[in-house]
Amino acid sequence: MSGNKIRILDGGMGTMLQSLGLPLGGVPEVWNITEPERIQSVHEAYLAAGSEIVYTNTFGANRYKMAATGYSVSELISAAVANAKKACSSHPGTKVALDIGPIGKMLAPLGDLAFEDAYDMFKEQVLAGSDADYIVIETMSDLYETKAALLAAKENSDKPVLVTMSFEANARTFTGTGIDCMALTLSGLGADAIGFNCSLGPAELAPMVRRLYELTELPLVLKPNAGLPDPVTNTYNIGPEEFADLVGELLPYGIAYVGGCCGTNPSYIAALKKRTEAFEASDERPELPAKVTFSGICSSTDAVWFTEPRVIGERINPTGKKRFQEALRNADMDYILSQALSQVSAGADILDVNVGCPGVDEKTMMVNVIRELQAVVSVPLQIDSNDPEVIEAALRAYNGRALVNSVNGEEKSLSAILPIVKRYGAAVVGLTLDEGGIPPMAEDRFKIAEKIVSRAEAVGIPRKDLQIDCLTLTAGAQQEAAAETVKALAKVRKELGTGAVLGVSNISFGLPNRELVNSTFLAMALQSGLTLPIMNPNSEAMMGTIRAYRLLANLDQHAVAFSEAYRDFVPAAAAKKPGAETVAAPVKDEAEGKIREELGDKAAELYAAVVSGLSERGANLTEELIAEKDPMQLVNGVLIPALDTVGAGYEKGRIFLPQLILSASVVQGAFARIKERLNKDGAEKVSKGTIVLATVKGDIHDIGKNIVKVLLENYGFTVIDLGKDVPVEAVVKAAKESGAPLVGLSALMTTTLGSMEETIRALKEAGLSCKTVVGGAVLTPEYAARIGADYYGADAKATVDIAKEVFHC
Amino acid sequence: MVLKPIDRKETALYLGYGKHEPDEIILKMMDECEGPLMEAARPAYAFGVFDTIICSEERIALSECTLELTGKDIGKLLRNCGKAVLFAATLGSGVDALIRRLQVNDMPKALITDAMAGAAIEQICNDFQAELAVRFPGTVQTMRYSPGYGDLPLSLQKELLATLEAGKRIGLTVTDGSMLTPVKSVTAIIGLRDADSEEEALKLKDRMAAEDFTAELSVGNCGKEACQGCAFHDRCHKAEKEEA
Repeated sequence: MSGNKIRILDGGMGTMLQSLGLPLGGVPEVWNITEPERIQSVHEAYLAAGSEIVYTNTFGANRYKMAATGYSVSELISAAVANAKKACSSHPGTKVALDIGPIGKMLAPLGDLAFEDAYDMFKEQVLAGSDADYIVIETMSDLYETKAALLAAKENSDKPVLVTMSFEANARTFTGTGIDCMALTLSGLGADAIGFNCSLGPAELAPMVRRLYELTELPLVLKPNAGLPDPVTNTYNIGPEEFADLVGELLPYGIAYVGGCCGTNPSYIAALKKRTEAFEASDERPELPAKVTFSGICSSTDAVWFTEPRVIGERINPTGKKRFQEALRNADMDYILSQALSQVSAGADILDVNVGCPGVDEKTMMVNVIRELQAVVSVPLQIDSNDPEVIEAALRAYNGRALVNSVNGEEKSLSAILPIVKRYGAAVVGLTLDEGGIPPMAEDRFKIAEKIVSRAEAVGIPRKDLQIDCLTLTAGAQQEAAAETVKALAKVRKELGTGAVLGVSNISFGLPNRELVNSTFLAMALQSGLTLPIMNPNSEAMMGTIRAYRLLANLDQHAVAFSEAYRDFVPAAAAKKPGAETVAAPVKDEAEGKIREELGDKAAELYAAVVSGLSERGANLTEELIAEKDPMQLVNGVLIPALDTVGAGYEKGRIFLPQLILSASVVQGAFARIKERLNKDGAEKVSKGTIVLATVKGDIHDIGKNIVKVLLENYGFTVIDLGKDVPVEAVVKAAKESGAPLVGLSALMTTTLGSMEETIRALKEAGLSCKTVVGGAVLTPEYAARIGADYYGADAKATVDIAKEVFHC
Repeated sequence: MVLKPIDRKETALYLGYGKHEPDEIILKMMDECEGPLMEAARPAYAFGVFDTIICSEERIALSECTLELTGKDIGKLLRNCGKAVLFAATLGSGVDALIRRLQVNDMPKALITDAMAGAAIEQICNDFQAELAVRFPGTVQTMRYSPGYGDLPLSLQKELLATLEAGKRIGLTVTDGSMLTPVKSVTAIIGLRDADSEEEALKLKDRMAAEDFTAELSVGNCGKEACQGCAFHDRCHKAEKEEA
């Protein structure tokens, strides 16, 4: 590092402008046009103090923040770049960096700004600042927004891009990104240097700088605050010399660009300059930590390093799964998300995502599923598709660094997929097959692996980012093949230095006691160096093998995880059938008596389980009852009467919303089992009718709508849930395509009632005969009537009653 | 900053229990929801104290910043107040993500966690006001007044957050519809009224309570039909009357 000259950046802009008279809440960027001399004087002061690169006064110069200024982004940025250039002109060799800060809005799914819109806003800034020498993206706390900015910079400019994010004292950003995820994601996306600015002083940032040094090969950028601010006066607690000393300690850690942020002024930069020159002149260097040599992938919050076996959950995949295919065709996101959550709670470290299914637009579905998944699970994802277009769209939409499944030895696969993987900085699975199919012998699979490695390296993908799949064949059909797979895997791990991935469960296809075969094969593969088994984490036997392997390979030190997992372990022979669960106490009422008489004691207990909110008992009773009774009899004879009882109690104020929803969730569990049964029998799905639900455009509060959905589904209605912040056209489209006789709209705030009115008008103008029901905290029956709604749903229960009326049931 | 144990009564209130006590199943669920909520929360707040410049009965400017507060209600709130405190607090985006996740696989817990998060943010506001009392001895605080209350426009959120630099300081932003993101967040304006002595401060506090300040605001005479969900629900006479 000592060979590279450290470039001195500038210090805080905001505090300087405030001292020149900019009021709090005032827009600094406007001064680029109205007060150019003052802006130039700030740059001049920094250049005089020793800055070699100055940031333009464009931190907030985006379309959103500048909307009310009366100036365009392009006008403000051009003026800013001109001001900086003018100041630099009298300081030879100094450079101008186009400064890009956060937009000031949160990206979906947490907020209402679409990733693509964020990209467009950043692109506008990048193009407007094309005269600058560098681009800096700074003070970022949302990794997804940072990605949008970095892509916009890389795709619309050839200038070097420096990216710095702001971390809190817990070494995470406001949206939960850690240093590992930042390093993995931004290094992959082609940033030229990465680092930290703002939020903390150099002392607090020191451990984070050291950590980042280990995690990236890129040069680092550091621009700390002048210590920590006083909460009332907002003044910072570290002076120039102390600042320079503290930052100076960090210079050996790969720092290539250094400056100050809030609270710093030219005197800090002068001190820093002196300290940096002294560092560069001296030969003394501390012993630096080793850089990490392994690779990994991440979401915005969780990194998974390829250092030991990690489980990839295989269940998000429609192949051979009728229920999953149905969910994809109906865009039933909740089913897909629940599959994800159950795998994560079973111990999956990564989830494979495959949504290829006839009748489904794979590209659109993949992007939607990735976004929905990343809103609820924090594990990284493996993007599973053969279609380069789908893979590219998925990588663009993905928040973090993904693993792509897969490329193979075929020329067309290599040339199409590897460049995409490189562009988005992903890791990739390489399948050992090519134009000739899967070679039977290990040596030939190894040769394909070698080819994939060299082709990947040729486009700049290091081998540590590759996971070779030596392919599992079915032992039932080709018994000798299992050993060849394991042999190829061992050779790849030993000789190529890549990771190894394997879809394990295929091995047992067609055999009895599949779990036994799977877990034995898994143990063989693990011992031969398997790093990423693709498997069903809900399989207790296979997860058990993983845990035991981790124990025996001394990866799970002191057997902490193993002991935790089997703390309450009871040997299978001694384990009794579940019976220890709470039995629902009888609910003595008229409906219960009738059910007991007509359908028996067990049905009466199911009724009681729903009324008392006992989920597990309800699900188990349903399981037992569907073996002996007509499922629809259970729905109409037990579950719905139970919900009616709870609903009546709710209306009378005897029971409250949480209990109503608790009972509803018992019914939901029972329904899930009945649905499984109906699918198995191939019976016609029995639905009382279809209802479209949406939280209107601009509104992101949708818990109320989701409660209504749960209740409606429990009463047997099919709900097409369009989610929150739904554009008017999307509601009209869904209503038209589904022919739903009822559309439900929710809005929480007075500010979004306008979109509700617009949506209702658009439904009418489209000539649809559907009725509308509206609900939300600020709505009133009068207002509902005024905006043309047919019904006012005071609460979830009332909305169910309205649905019953509309559907005459 | 960490969350304090979450007030069960307040949570029950948010869940619509009114004066009723939740049953054992629900209380137990509250216990189960508390841990993950605490873990997900990254509570933070930002504030600024400004001198008020009364421009008219319905327009108040703040010193050294561009924010102007307009409306009858804020005029009444800040009348006699030499200072106004702008305040913003959030539980962080982790709580939003937790509630979102629970809505997929456990709606009852989503509902309870949502209510507990509401109680938690209320607690943060109360603690902040206690801190404010220590920082500014000899003053009396008005109630917390938020954009969207009475005739104070909700659209003030964007500028209020910009004044506090809340995006940078605590990661709090606002949508086009003026909704705060993260969702579990609060903004408020609090007036500080000078009292010549601690004694007088106490008297003033009593008097302000006795005057029942909220009665003067547009509350209860808002023209809104539905009280449920109104930001003033717990203070408004109209809501009490309707429930009775």
